[in-house]
Amino acid sequence: MPDDGDEAAEPDEFDGPAISGYGVASAALGALSVAAIALAAVIWVVHRSDVDDRGYQSRIMQVAVDWTSVLINMNTGNVTASLQRLHDGTVGELNADFDSTMHPYQQVVQRLQSTSHGQVEAVAVEAVRHDLDAQPGGPRPPQAEQLPASVASRTDSVMVVATSISENVGGKPQTVHWNLRLGVSDVDGKLMISRLESIR
Amino acid sequence: MKNAWRVAAFDIAAPLAAICALLGIGVVLSWPRWWVATCSVLVLLIVQGVAVNVWLWRRDSVTVGTDDDAPALRFAVVGLCAVAVVSAVLTGYTHWTLPDRRLKADSVEVVRIATGMAEATATFSPQEPTASIDRAAAMMVPEQATAFTQNFGKAIADLAQRHVTATASTLEAGVEAIGPSAAAVAVVLRATQNTPGQPPDNAVLALHITLTKHSDHWLVLDVSPINAR
Repeated sequence: MPDDGDEAAEPDEFDGPAISGYGVASAALGALSVAAIALAAVIWVVHRSDVDDRGYQSRIMQVAVDWTSVLINMNTGNVTASLQRLHDGTVGELNADFDSTMHPYQQVVQRLQSTSHGQVEAVAVEAVRHDLDAQPGGPRPPQAEQLPASVASRTDSVMVVATSISENVGGKPQTVHWNLRLGVSDVDGKLMISRLESIR
Repeated sequence: MKNAWRVAAFDIAAPLAAICALLGIGVVLSWPRWWVATCSVLVLLIVQGVAVNVWLWRRDSVTVGTDDDAPALRFAVVGLCAVAVVSAVLTGYTHWTLPDRRLKADSVEVVRIATGMAEATATFSPQEPTASIDRAAAMMVPEQATAFTQNFGKAIADLAQRHVTATASTLEAGVEAIGPSAAAVAVVLRATQNTPGQPPDNAVLALHITLTKHSDHWLVLDVSPINAR
């Protein structure tokens, strides 16, 4: 309530002395109300941003799952279409070097002549990461983690654990475990994969 | 007009703020039936009060805000308004701010416990065969801990016999899902087994750890390999 100093003006008017007590009290309560309204606004804004953040995290997990599903279900029959879909979902360096990054996968698929059925087993936004191969005191890996701010407003890492079973022609089924670390970037509101690496 | 601000404050802003606060409480509580009832009654009372005020203004050209003979009434109006707004703030704090903070703290806590648990299950030293398994069991729900220790008993005996040393360190961990009293965490770790006379054997394990909250403490309910197929 935007009220304060209500009765401060009161003594100027014809009514008298008894008013000031109530006036001061009203002014104090008014100030309290104003402060409370400001606090309520802060609570609302913080809560909204928390809720939005949680929504965003589920969205990036969903995007990572969708993209990985295409990757692990790539077969000889759908390899071109799959690669196109995967390529369309990427941005940044991964997009630029897509062919070289994907070449090994493509080769494996072509050579094995296999039908694989993949399934995402777990997905989580990365909370802890230890690069065990980093040399202590050695040069830190280049900060290729984040896309420049001009391209993406934020980039988060998502870990995806998946399993695919490849049935080779004439061979026995082969189980492949995927432990992937994906970078998901927000490019003008569109979520794209900006990094793909295997957790080893 | 000299009295304009008093009209604005006491006759317009105060009831408006009170109504907004009541509606705000409804939004925070997601409109349970009892609040829909209470809120409609209170808002109706405020609207009636405002209506009477308007009617008095038409009749006597004086309102609650401008009546110099009624400071107590003004005080009451401001008081009620303050009560409503402060209640709204308290409701928002307890229903939004506190749970949000708790969830964030819990997310950090469950990852910490889960990585500790995962590393403990994949760690073994022949010198202290049960050390890490006891450490893991201590993090578990008591009912599950016994079964867990029994399950691992055989594996431990086997490892001890072969003098295998196993160590594990977390590569990645993240929260899959979390609620006020349950959580699931995925942990990817690198486990190294050293058998005397053989090169060390590295493996990447992905574990799925479910936790539950027991009297304000997170305890591990279950540990399972993610890709067990």
